[in-house]
Amino acid sequence: MDPTRNRDLIEGIARVVSVEGGVAVLEPEQTTACGHCVSASVCGQKGGLGDRLVARRFEVPGDGLAVGERWVIGISERSLLRASMAAYGLPLLTLLGGGVAAQAMGAGDGVSALASVGGLGIGFLLARWRARSLEDGGDLSPTLLHRAGSGDMCHTE
Amino acid sequence: MRDLILLIVGAALVNNVVLARFLGLCSFMGVTTKIDTAVGMGMATTFVITVSSMGDWAIERFLLMPFDLGYLRTVTFILVIAAAVQFTEMVIRKVSPALFQTLGIYLPLITTNCAVLGVALLLVEGKMNFIQSTVFAFASSLGYSLVMAIFAGLRERIALADVPRLFAGPPVGFVTASLLAMAFMGFSGMSAN
Repeated sequence: MDPTRNRDLIEGIARVVSVEGGVAVLEPEQTTACGHCVSASVCGQKGGLGDRLVARRFEVPGDGLAVGERWVIGISERSLLRASMAAYGLPLLTLLGGGVAAQAMGAGDGVSALASVGGLGIGFLLARWRARSLEDGGDLSPTLLHRAGSGDMCHTE
Repeated sequence: MRDLILLIVGAALVNNVVLARFLGLCSFMGVTTKIDTAVGMGMATTFVITVSSMGDWAIERFLLMPFDLGYLRTVTFILVIAAAVQFTEMVIRKVSPALFQTLGIYLPLITTNCAVLGVALLLVEGKMNFIQSTVFAFASSLGYSLVMAIFAGLRERIALADVPRLFAGPPVGFVTASLLAMAFMGFSGMSAN
C-alpha cells in the first residue's frame, strides 16, 4: 500500500482535456467491473463508453494544468457515502415504502406497482433536494491531489 | 409482514447471492479493496437490481407467461437491466449533475454484473407476486452489499498484515472469501429451524 495515499480520500485518475480562460476541464478514466482499466479488457468489457465519460467531465481552476496531463483526483469517503445515500437510498426507501403500504391496505399487484413507481418519483424529488444541500456544502467536488505517475492505474480506490 | 421479513432474511443471509449462489464474483473481488468503494458499488447495484426486478416482473407476468415466450426470458431480462441502468443514469444526471459526476462511475459497471441477471431469473423460479418479488430483489442485493462491505473490511485489514509472499494479493483474498462463505453457511441452520 502506498504510504503517501490519503486514507480519507477515494482516489481516481482524470485527464486534462482542455484549459481555457483559467478553467481546466478534466475527464475521469473509466474502470470495469473487475477494477481494471477499460483499455485492459480484462473482464470482457470493452470501450464504447466515450459518451458517458464526456458527461462526467468536470471543471477545476486551470492554473498549472496542461492538456493531456493525468492527475490523481480525490473525493472524501464520507461524501461518497452521503451521495450514495441521497441518490440510491432515499428513492429505494420510498419505492419499497409505497409498495408495501399499498399491499398492507389490501391493494392488488397493479396498484402496488403503481404505488411503488409513485414512491420512486417522490424519492427522486427528495434526492434532488438532498443533492442540492450536498452541492452547496461543496461535498461533491473532487479535488486535485497530484500528477499521476506512469505506474498509476485508472482504478478508483 | 412476517412473510416479508422471512423473505428478507432468507434472500440476504441464508441464500446470499455471492456466497451461496456464487454470482457477482467479478465485482466481489475487483471492487472490494476499500469499504467505501464497496458500499458505493453495493448501493448502486441494490438500486438497479430492485428497479429492474419491477420491470422483469411486469414483463414476465404480462408478456412472457401469457404468450408462452419463456425461451426469450434471458434476452429480455438483459434488455430490461440495460434499460434500468440507462434510466438510473439519466435520472441521476437530471436530479443532480454533481451527484452523477460523483457516482456515475459505478453505473456502467453494473450492466456486466451477473448478480443482476441472476436475481431476475430467481424471481421467475419463485413465482412471486409484485411486492414479494421487489422485496426479494431488494433483500438479495442488500445481501450482496453486506458481503461486499464485510469482505472489503477484511481486505483492508489483510493489506496491513504480514502475509507470506506466495499468498499475498488475490490468493489470500480467495482463502478469506472461502472462509466467509463457510461462515455464511451457518445461516442455513436458520432455514432448518
